[in-house]
Amino acid sequence: MLSLRQRALVGGLASGALSVIVGTLAVLSYIDSRVSNRIDSALRDRHTQLVVGLSVTTQNPEALRDLMFDPSYSAPYSGRYWQVTSSDGQIFTSTSLFDETIAEPPASPQTVTLWNTPGPEDEALRSAYQKITYEDGTVWGVSVAENQTLLINERLSAQRNLLPVFGLVGLIGVASSLLLMSIIMGPLRKLRTDVTHRWDSDDDLKPTDYPNEVSPLVEDLNQLLRRNRDIVSGSRRHAADLAHALKTPTAILRNELQSMSESGIETNIAQEALDRVDAQLGRSLARLRAMNTAELSHSRTDISHSVDRLTRLFSTIAKRDNKTLEVKRDPDLWVRMDTQDVEEVLGNLLDNAVKWSRSTVRFTAMRQQGCIEICIEDNGPGIPKEAQREALRSGGRLDTSVRGSGLGLAIAVDLLAAYGAHLELGTSDSLGGLKCRVAIPTNIATALM
Amino acid sequence: MRILLAEDEPHLCDQVKKLLNAEGRVVDIANNGTDAQYLGTTEPYDMIILDLGLPERDGISVLREWRNAGIKTPVLILTARDGWSERVDGLDAGADDYMTKPFHLPELAARVRAILRRQSGQLNPVIEMGNVMLDTRNGRVTVDDVPVDLTAQEIAVLTYLAHNAGRMIPRTELSEHIYEYDGDRDSNTIAVFINRLRKKLGPDLITTVRGRGYMIDPG
Repeated sequence: MLSLRQRALVGGLASGALSVIVGTLAVLSYIDSRVSNRIDSALRDRHTQLVVGLSVTTQNPEALRDLMFDPSYSAPYSGRYWQVTSSDGQIFTSTSLFDETIAEPPASPQTVTLWNTPGPEDEALRSAYQKITYEDGTVWGVSVAENQTLLINERLSAQRNLLPVFGLVGLIGVASSLLLMSIIMGPLRKLRTDVTHRWDSDDDLKPTDYPNEVSPLVEDLNQLLRRNRDIVSGSRRHAADLAHALKTPTAILRNELQSMSESGIETNIAQEALDRVDAQLGRSLARLRAMNTAELSHSRTDISHSVDRLTRLFSTIAKRDNKTLEVKRDPDLWVRMDTQDVEEVLGNLLDNAVKWSRSTVRFTAMRQQGCIEICIEDNGPGIPKEAQREALRSGGRLDTSVRGSGLGLAIAVDLLAAYGAHLELGTSDSLGGLKCRVAIPTNIATALM
Repeated sequence: MRILLAEDEPHLCDQVKKLLNAEGRVVDIANNGTDAQYLGTTEPYDMIILDLGLPERDGISVLREWRNAGIKTPVLILTARDGWSERVDGLDAGADDYMTKPFHLPELAARVRAILRRQSGQLNPVIEMGNVMLDTRNGRVTVDDVPVDLTAQEIAVLTYLAHNAGRMIPRTELSEHIYEYDGDRDSNTIAVFINRLRKKLGPDLITTVRGRGYMIDPG
């Protein structure tokens, strides 16, 4: 579909071209008609002069040549001619016609008839003709003619002179259309900028900042954005309520089974079934969260703030286990990602790293070209290359001897994918254990395309 | 040791209470955020187990209010909210530990012991008082390595004194920490429990500070 700017350009060009063509035709037609009228009027005058001249020389038409004293009638093929034809077919002409004659209209009009006819040497002549009966009873066809070539040339010359002027007028018309469109589009451009900035501030757009025609749209947009935000937060709240509603009963069941087991009752099958319920619950809630995530993908988060919060927690956990968490980060690491999702991803990765490391976990968060790169390395056993894919799969768990749902890495992958970010597993060069590399694009719109 | 359990699910309350009672702890239950906030503010608990999804008032706001009021009672958050943001929020609000549901009762018991030990500066789960040993993990008491049978309330009195060894404990404080909120707090019964403990564990373990209270020598 054409953009508004393209529409303005096409519309401007079309209206400009139409204006120029119509204007040119109108002006040229006006010039034509003015020149034709002038020639016709002059022809009538000369015809009258010839009729009067012939009235005194009907018995001696040859004398007309002397009577019609205009020098143009004397020069051969001068473009200005007269001719009189008697009723018996004798033709007397101006010297300028030399040995040629002027055609006469097929009818014999009693009034002056103006018409176009070819002349000597294929000249385009404009001729005035009338059949006149004089007082002495003689009947004469009286013609005067004038070459129109001059007129045609004049018209062509006028066209040549006027066309560039009209072209310029057309261009001015197109430019004006574009300027007008640009002015009209101003509020829409502002709306787009304001909507983008709105994600950062969470403030509503101000309808009073826009023209009357746009402000209802701004109101609607505000409502739509509010509704969107409410749906997403409501959905998350629903997921949290669901988690609470289901996890508490499963905790009760688990505790009852524990008591029964301590009393010597076999509960392994029931416990395994409950484990499956817990795992499925965790997976479904994580997926629900990741599905809602895309709706929040415009909210901005300073990762450095989340990093500080999480490393404060995990430093304490690591210290309790006689381990060290080394943290190195750039300041102001802004990405378009929901804070809770950032913390869920980093929390899961740090939890794994602290759990599996022998003594050291290293966390780095750096600004790179087009993305924020976060690396979490440890000196634990790592994951063999062939098993890394399984570790990233939803529900995949490599070592069942360490407690956990096995969802941590898979949840991180799902959440990152919703933002066009990704997680890679590898081996740490410096520490020898697992290296998790997360790359979060700084321009989310590009990443999601 | 007296513990406030702020949890709205009655079956889970029963399970946790039974578990903690078995270790000689006294447990009060608050089923909603308002009661939890009131009890945590007015009663001298040794620790609080707090669910975040309480009716009437959210657990985090209750916890913030306690901390703002200067109440330093250790708090263990026990919740279905397992996101890392919520964990950090909970710990930043002043919680001492965070457990997510579903959980294993033995793990909860271990976390409760760890918090109570940290609170009293005891690093070892087995508290040694001369020839008397108290294993806080199961409430077992031995004298010269010989097991001694104690009632739940005797264990409660001994545990509180042992966790506060070296400090003189007034009778009223002792009764506040071994009886439930609705329990009959006759301070004369304290003297009965002390006498029984002396008979079972030896006359020199608990010192009476006349007119003031009781004390166990830190050894």
